[in-house]
Amino acid sequence: MNGLESRRAGSRSILWAVLIILVIIYAFPFVYMLFTSFKTPIETNAIPPTILPNTWTIQNYVTALNTQGVLTSFLNSIQTAVLSTVISLMLAIPAAYAVTRFRTRLGRVFILVALVMRMVPAIVVGAPLISLFHSVGLSDTSLALAIAQATVSLPLSIWLMASFFEAVPDDLEEAARIDGCSRLGSLWRVVLPVTRGGVAVAAIFAFLASWNDFIFALLLTSVRAVTTPLEIANFQSQFGLDWGSMTSLAVLYSIPVILLTLILQRHIVAGLTLGAVKG
Amino acid sequence: MILPAALFLAVFVAWPLVQFIGNSFYHYNPIGDGPHTFVGFSNYVQAFTSPAFANSAWRTVAYTVIVVFFEFALGLIVALLFTALGDRSRVFRTIFLYPLMIAPIVAGLLWRFLLIDNSGIVNQLLYEAHLTSSPDQIQWLSDPNIALFAVALPDIWLTTSFISLVLFAGLQNIPADVIEAARIDGAGYPTLLFQVVIPLLRPVIAVALIVRGVDAARAFDVIVVQTQGGPQNSTETMSLLVYNTQISDGNPGLASAMGTIYLLVMMIVAVIAVLAIWRPGSDRA
Repeated sequence: MNGLESRRAGSRSILWAVLIILVIIYAFPFVYMLFTSFKTPIETNAIPPTILPNTWTIQNYVTALNTQGVLTSFLNSIQTAVLSTVISLMLAIPAAYAVTRFRTRLGRVFILVALVMRMVPAIVVGAPLISLFHSVGLSDTSLALAIAQATVSLPLSIWLMASFFEAVPDDLEEAARIDGCSRLGSLWRVVLPVTRGGVAVAAIFAFLASWNDFIFALLLTSVRAVTTPLEIANFQSQFGLDWGSMTSLAVLYSIPVILLTLILQRHIVAGLTLGAVKG
Repeated sequence: MILPAALFLAVFVAWPLVQFIGNSFYHYNPIGDGPHTFVGFSNYVQAFTSPAFANSAWRTVAYTVIVVFFEFALGLIVALLFTALGDRSRVFRTIFLYPLMIAPIVAGLLWRFLLIDNSGIVNQLLYEAHLTSSPDQIQWLSDPNIALFAVALPDIWLTTSFISLVLFAGLQNIPADVIEAARIDGAGYPTLLFQVVIPLLRPVIAVALIVRGVDAARAFDVIVVQTQGGPQNSTETMSLLVYNTQISDGNPGLASAMGTIYLLVMMIVAVIAVLAIWRPGSDRA
């Protein structure tokens, strides 16, 4: 409430109308994908296209899930995303803590370099990583893919965690240290419990970076470690253009993260707007 | 305690980078153990003299400008609407958030489906609204003149939410007395917006634009699943050109030279931007 709200009833109703139209347009693509996933193959390619299915069927879901490799890819996606999140957080938390607590010049340079690394195009790092993982026998494994994806999420995790640690007052920790806590002890027992929300935010973003990644999966996996985004993309090359199966698998793959958004909305908004608004 | 993270980034980002840059001075075949021939700067000469490289560089700039411009314009309108309507718009804010969580590759494929020439729903709706004279009048993804704009649509759809959220949060932080003072001075909404609100939001706007600009310049997933760079290379941005040169043409030396130039330009822009706007670890952080 800062005076930017509209006060007149007349203009408020116009603004509501505009907003509702915009939101409908914005929501339409996904809703249309959802409807398409329940259409019969003939109706999917019908000219002119329909919006609501004439006959509702779950045939596309059955076909998609029975396609060779799809179920495995789901398990791979989950495994890779969890691994990648753990790697990212385990490295980011101590680093961010050190940067915010010791405030050295080196720490500042480090966080800047990390941020700049986040801007390196994936294709540049991805190609040499193929031979690196090959030489240590990690070709086509979830671990290799998780590591590659963590190169993207780690800088963001460090940045987010540093912002959250910054907000923890030094006094809180000093009390713990007087009571005989080590640095690591106070990080673990005092700082992390009060920044739980921050850890959740960093975890969500690391998870999403892995879950939604396509290019690293394309470069680093071939058979065993293939994740679902590759399977979704395969529906267009392998069997011509199988929009029915593609849309149903895309819906299945998006539902977990959409639910995550609804449940953790506050945290996600906090994470997205953090640095930007404070700066 | 920084060491593990620093080592990780050194091994999995810096070292591959060094190798990538090193490759740009060689000519070799990626398949088998063919000879690595040191060729000095000839890959760079080839990159700079190739029309494909120059065209792709301009396309990347154009793509980035299109994406950032539309996201900013739409994002600002939506953020102002949310602010004007206050707390009761919360449900709509949630709906607006969801595309952010969807995989870019899903968005790319979905929009390709929406934009199919003769049976796509977008063309059908335009036709039914009498905006076009036939459902296949606009060849979104197969007309080289508009394809670059069409491939940008899913990117705009996915991340306009990000800009709105950031701007919305920034708008909430504008002190009420500043707005009140301007109103007492008789400022109407447009004056208030352009003279007071936007200048106050400047740092927030800058961060949002930089984050999105860098991401748009790196876009790969969204474009590759829609057009693979076609038609007639009209959507082949830098990421795709490097990928196609590396994988499809099997010329990693040239791809590395192109990628290195691309990377250097991005880095310079990024460092200037970060230094100018966000000073990590300082008192303002």
